[in-house]
Amino acid sequence: MRRLLIGLVVALVAFGVAGLAETNVPETPGATLGGTLTLGVGQVFKDLDPRISNSAYDSYVINEVFDRLVDFHPDTKEIVPFVAKSWEILSDTVTRFYINEGILFHNGEPLTAEDVAFTFNWIADEANNSPNMTELVWMEEAVVVEEYVLDIVTKDEYAPYAPGFASETRAIVPMDYVLEVGDEAFNVAPIGSGPYKFVEWRTGDRVILERNEDYWLVYPNLEQVVYRPIPELSVMMAELEAGGIDISDTMPATDVPRFRGMDDIEVMQAPGMFYFYVFFNLQHAPSNDIRWRKAVYMSVNYDAAVFSIFQNLTGLRMYGCVPEGLWANDTEYLRDTVALQENDAEAKRLFQELKDEGIIPANYKTKVYCPMDPRRRQLATIMATNLIENGIDAEVVPMDWATYLPLCYRSESDPTAADLDQGIIGWSGGYDPHDFVYYMFHSDNCTVGSADNLCWLQDDEVDAWIFDADTTLDQATREELYVKAQRKAFELYTNIPGYNYIQTNGVNTRVHGFIVDPLGSYLLCDPYHNVWVDG
Amino acid sequence: MIAYTIRRLAQLVLVLFGLTLLIFTLLKTMPGDPAVVMAGIGAQLETIQGLREQLGLNEPLHVQYWRLFSGLFTGELQAMTFRRPGPVWNVIWERLPATVELGFFGLLLAVIVSVPAGLLSAIYRNTPLDYAVTTAALMGISIPVFWFALMMMIVFGVFLHWLPVSGRGDALWGWSFLTIDGLRHLVIPAVALASVQMALNARLTRASMLEVLRQDYVTTARSKGLRERVVLIKHAFRNAMAPVVTNIGMQIGTVFAGAVLTETTTAWPGIGRLMVDAIMRRDQSVVFALTLFLGFIFMVSFLIIDLFYAYIDPRITYD
Repeated sequence: MRRLLIGLVVALVAFGVAGLAETNVPETPGATLGGTLTLGVGQVFKDLDPRISNSAYDSYVINEVFDRLVDFHPDTKEIVPFVAKSWEILSDTVTRFYINEGILFHNGEPLTAEDVAFTFNWIADEANNSPNMTELVWMEEAVVVEEYVLDIVTKDEYAPYAPGFASETRAIVPMDYVLEVGDEAFNVAPIGSGPYKFVEWRTGDRVILERNEDYWLVYPNLEQVVYRPIPELSVMMAELEAGGIDISDTMPATDVPRFRGMDDIEVMQAPGMFYFYVFFNLQHAPSNDIRWRKAVYMSVNYDAAVFSIFQNLTGLRMYGCVPEGLWANDTEYLRDTVALQENDAEAKRLFQELKDEGIIPANYKTKVYCPMDPRRRQLATIMATNLIENGIDAEVVPMDWATYLPLCYRSESDPTAADLDQGIIGWSGGYDPHDFVYYMFHSDNCTVGSADNLCWLQDDEVDAWIFDADTTLDQATREELYVKAQRKAFELYTNIPGYNYIQTNGVNTRVHGFIVDPLGSYLLCDPYHNVWVDG
Repeated sequence: MIAYTIRRLAQLVLVLFGLTLLIFTLLKTMPGDPAVVMAGIGAQLETIQGLREQLGLNEPLHVQYWRLFSGLFTGELQAMTFRRPGPVWNVIWERLPATVELGFFGLLLAVIVSVPAGLLSAIYRNTPLDYAVTTAALMGISIPVFWFALMMMIVFGVFLHWLPVSGRGDALWGWSFLTIDGLRHLVIPAVALASVQMALNARLTRASMLEVLRQDYVTTARSKGLRERVVLIKHAFRNAMAPVVTNIGMQIGTVFAGAVLTETTTAWPGIGRLMVDAIMRRDQSVVFALTLFLGFIFMVSFLIIDLFYAYIDPRITYD
């Protein structure tokens, strides 16, 4: 064990040093300096303070205004240095980070270990009610050792915590400035150390950033970045076509062929990191009976359903909860061995069996809950239609998030969600399978009032495998354990995997150096991207 | 008239108070939890509970009501889910100029086009001009605003590149109509918003004018040898405008509150969209304040129209 730890430390330090050399990116050859890049955003911005923001859309701006402690390599998805130039694992509970010197916030103040500690400790502090606290629940505290040296201490019960690094891809805020202006003022006019400085937020409308001339990592190519919220997708596509925006953050499947035919627009795609699925409620009948779950699964050809929604252009069928391209993805086994094909005869037989046993009451009507998003509503409609054909009265119940989430989370007045047999929901994770497997299937997340394990699976074996995977540093071992946990959860048919997005951006040909982010955000300038525009 | 005005203002206060009770009741009976919306998917139970505590959602209902009501006047009431410094009114004032200028120009356009069109349509009844105006009015009422806006965006924005597709342009002192870029951005949303109002006003003007032209005093005026222009403008038009003015007055309030579709489709950052966002987020402070504000606007605009009504028609008194 000791030798393993030493080997690990050496490997990580070496990797950290190698990563440092790689982050000294020279200015982009052939790039044009200057110009304005206009980005389409699917929703208005809510919060620009990374400590409280939980909206994927806010991250578009946050990614450019702030720097992150560590980052993900865009190709290998491994953790690489960023603000932290290197790190070493001192023990199961302590990881020491060495901060790059010479990084300045936009107000000229230096970024030090104190700012990093402040950011992490603020988020982890229950008193601040940060929505991001859940990602740092494993952390005891961040401790300043020296001006540019920081220890992150893991709680004993989580140590050693392998997914912790993924949580450390966190934007760093300037402690002194935040304390001076207050949280609310900082939220609407943030200051970071990132490649682009905040200029203006016209609430309900655009956010404008300008180049940080003193950016420590590389000289940002763009003069100005404008983010334009355009909630109507058809209007965003019109803006892309008219040149009102240079990049759209998404594209409907029906528009992909049309834009592919245009000379001045390039359709760029990459597999996303999303998991949209049907979950069953294991807390009550009939959905707590595996026959119900199998019968609902076999009532629908989910491959065809997903194809009808996306035409394989902007979405693809999934068979497990870990997206393809990420380690611990188990598509082959789950597709070939676990996934059920449409079989109406068998579905009807199982439903009849349940009716005969009284598990499905006479005149029973089941509901397929879903959010208002048109794609999930479409899937819910397909499910309900097929259930009716197989003798189960069903209706689709779309809800807005403020109503749907409390239902899914359960409540003190309705701890078993008595009316909820199945629902459709989505999840987006990062580049560690923990982000998917732990939240979907560990019983820690069966908490009335804030559940993420929406099927309410409480299985000791699955819990143990996930816990062991989270507290093991060896990736091969982790992968094996996550795969075991997934297989059991899916063999119980707790979920019907739906689809993953193919992250699709419409990009004007005047834009260069842009890479699609599988997490759905915009990345303009970091160790691996430095976007520039013509003219 | 002064006594009447004072009575109406007193009524306004009572009605607004009643409105606060109604809004509060609706907010509390509406399903959904603002703390869950703020916390988002994946949040810890402690975070959700902490937010409920922070937002005062665990307090007794009468305490919550008083906090909302009194906070509006003391400036202590902040938006729940729109995390901004200062009172909740800041969230509304930020968006107000966009709605005011959209509403003003939409209404102005509607009046400038619809009133003459309606008048001419009545004067030249059963001519091609009349048919054209009537048909256009029918289309204006029938065509959905969002579809009309979308078509204008595609034709003028995408195909012809004459106008920006969506959004609000650059502003001077907070008002975008003071800049060329701002005016260009205003065209499509204002025309879309005006389309239904134009149609309604044109039809109403036409009908009202036709009614007036049949009156005995108009026949008398003509028989006295007055020029037709004098008959139409001095005698007929002024009387015909009474119901039209009333309708336009009612549209003032609608323009503030009812531009949601136009604002959403054209990505116009006004208070219509703010109301929708606030409801979706269950931001009780913003919904409360905004609904009261809109109620105030409606009632004041009705009062102004009633007073104006008395001004243009001397037969009407409120004493």
